[in-house]
Amino acid sequence: MRVKSKILSTTLIISCVLVSRHRTLMNIFDKAPVVDKDAFVAPGASVIGDVLVGRGSSIWYGCVLRGDVNSISVGSGTNIQDNSLVHVAKSNLSGKVLPTIIGDNVTIGHSAVVHGCTVEDEAFVGMGATLLDGVVVEKHAMVAAGALVKQNTRIPTGEVWGGNPARFLRKLTDEEIAFIAQSATNYSNLAQVHAAENAKPFDEIEFEKVLRKKFANKDEEYDSMLGVVRELPPELILPSNVLPDEHKAK
Amino acid sequence: MATTLARIARKSLTTSTAFSLKRHFGTEAVAAAIASTKSITPSADRVKWDYRGQRKIIPLGQWLPKIAVDAYVAPNVVLAGQVTVYDGASVWNGAVLRGDLNKITVGFCSNVQERCVLHAAWNSPTGLPAETSIERYVTIGAYSLLRSCTIEPECIIGQHSILMEGSLVETHSILEAGSVVPPGRRIPTGELWAGNPAKFVRTLTHEETLEIPKLAVAINDLSKTYFTEFLPYSTVYLEVEKLKNKLGINV
Repeated sequence: MRVKSKILSTTLIISCVLVSRHRTLMNIFDKAPVVDKDAFVAPGASVIGDVLVGRGSSIWYGCVLRGDVNSISVGSGTNIQDNSLVHVAKSNLSGKVLPTIIGDNVTIGHSAVVHGCTVEDEAFVGMGATLLDGVVVEKHAMVAAGALVKQNTRIPTGEVWGGNPARFLRKLTDEEIAFIAQSATNYSNLAQVHAAENAKPFDEIEFEKVLRKKFANKDEEYDSMLGVVRELPPELILPSNVLPDEHKAK
Repeated sequence: MATTLARIARKSLTTSTAFSLKRHFGTEAVAAAIASTKSITPSADRVKWDYRGQRKIIPLGQWLPKIAVDAYVAPNVVLAGQVTVYDGASVWNGAVLRGDLNKITVGFCSNVQERCVLHAAWNSPTGLPAETSIERYVTIGAYSLLRSCTIEPECIIGQHSILMEGSLVETHSILEAGSVVPPGRRIPTGELWAGNPAKFVRTLTHEETLEIPKLAVAINDLSKTYFTEFLPYSTVYLEVEKLKNKLGINV
């Protein structure tokens, strides 16, 4: 918290503590989130209540996974991208309420809203999509960006649905289906980089700042002219599996 | 006085290491909870609460996000990877600018309003560079999603709009709220587009075109008042010191 506090006197006791009270994993009622140790959960995200997150999954910045009235389970290798909301319903108009189940290797795009749905393995929910209660996105299906999928819609395998309200657009080609799985893997790798960076303690952050300054103006041509070899320290090198193949559009 | 305080705090932090603090506040019996279904193995060390909160600037490897000195970036924002926020720009609360696969630039006097997500794909379907570049005097309305798009100077992007890979919004155009621009779509100069998918509505009059940079400047003015509310560095370490003293945790 950055606040220009006018009073810094020691008579102000801890009732005015200004540290961030945000808890990434928060229990509510008697439910606690169970998050695999290999999953990346951004510090600013909120994983609350009855949420299960499988291995290799990633929950990106600003997400909210609220398992307060029902359960959410996220499979392995899934990525829930920035600013998304995954919530469950306790009751809805049709009467039956399902927990939110998100399968393995699913990509849920930025700012998506997933409310009481079942998303099966290797599906793709485009960014900004809103999936209302009871929606089932089958395996290898794609929800286009910005779509609004009405309640209890079932999106069959291999199809792209989009628009508001969501209707069938076209079928997915095999290449695109393979791409979905590939993108989930890419995101998993990217998540590891972010996880490592977010978990760094204070010393490492400061040390890397210094390193970056030192190597900021590194110019290989000039160095070779001088006959000097300056290698980037390992802290500054990103792992090579993070960036996907050249010809694949992410 | 502040610098000596900072030095002392830094020394105390190095000796304590954040872990001891986390263990005191963070661990609960949750980790003992079952790893039964789908063999999830939660880690006992998983941090439940970190007083540092979410860092604003997340460098990845050599890429360090750069913020100009008079740009206002809210404390809630996450800038990761190759992000450059130029002079007079403002990035409002809750926005996420993820330049991890490609560059993101926010131009002079532009503003990225609340809860936007700007991301850049690795490559884009059109020939355009896959970086997300927002030129000068652009207003990006709240809750928008921009992915690998190029926004030329002096535009307004309405709230909750979605711009997909490779789209190009040319100068002096306005996108209405809630519009979804499909991949590779070009919005020509001086036009108003709306809808999902975005369709042409009408051309803008000259007066409306003149208003566009005025909006950006107005938001820039607003951001100055927010800017003056914050110190350049976080003072949370003082609070942490207070907490440590109060609770008797040894450094």
